[in-house]
Amino acid sequence: MAVSAFNSSHEAVAARYEAVDEVYRETRDMRLLGFVLFLVSDVVLFSAFIFAYLYLRNSVPNWPPITNTGKQLPRFDVAFAAINSCVLFGSGATMHFAMESWKHLNRSAFNLWMIATIVLGIAFLCGQGYEYQHVAITWSGSTMGATFFTLTGMHGFHVFVGVIYLIVLFLQANNGVYTGSKYFGLTAGTLYWHFVDVIWVALFYLFYLM
Amino acid sequence: MAATLEKSIAFIFAIIVGGTTTFQLVKDWSSRGLDNQVTKLLLGLMAFGCILVILAAVGVLGGG
Repeated sequence: MAVSAFNSSHEAVAARYEAVDEVYRETRDMRLLGFVLFLVSDVVLFSAFIFAYLYLRNSVPNWPPITNTGKQLPRFDVAFAAINSCVLFGSGATMHFAMESWKHLNRSAFNLWMIATIVLGIAFLCGQGYEYQHVAITWSGSTMGATFFTLTGMHGFHVFVGVIYLIVLFLQANNGVYTGSKYFGLTAGTLYWHFVDVIWVALFYLFYLM
Repeated sequence: MAATLEKSIAFIFAIIVGGTTTFQLVKDWSSRGLDNQVTKLLLGLMAFGCILVILAAVGVLGGG
């Protein structure tokens, strides 16, 4: 019974998704492909920096490296980063719930989950700012610092843009820009937010666990 | 002491978020379309991230 209700709900969402005019459907599919390709290009951008980091990391005998003044640099704080990671991954889950709520025409739940996502995104940025203030390295002091601040800063900028993007989507959704069958902007926003989550998985492993 | 508390919090959060993500992934497994396929891939990687957090919290990864 529950499975049947789930399937019919799933089918209702799929039916609404297809219940658009031909022109909209074609442009939606093209925009979706374009957006996915944009995300792939962003993967290439991060990959370039990540491989540069791995190259620099493998070019020294020990990591964390020893500075020219003979000072042994410390490892990053795994415990705090783990909490901050959970905040970001949690925002990915709430974003998914927001999208599902929109697809199932539950606007109040959509608003709630969107606000939760935005708050968690801001919380992650605050956590990153706190870490920047307390970390024992600087951008210019070592290759470790340079790669850390460049990659996490670039990711943080993506999160910052994502938060702005989500706020715009939230306002648009509440001003009737999207409907139950036409919501490409929300789909793109969800994909973008999941993308920044997944990039953080790689950065969390590379800087804190490896 | 503070690190232990932080790791405990991270462990609990990671289980909640990872469990939720995995549940959503299983629930949406039959959905079709490029956006849903990409979403499923990204949700799977997010669940993997939660596993990394759990392993870090229990000291298996990240130097204890």
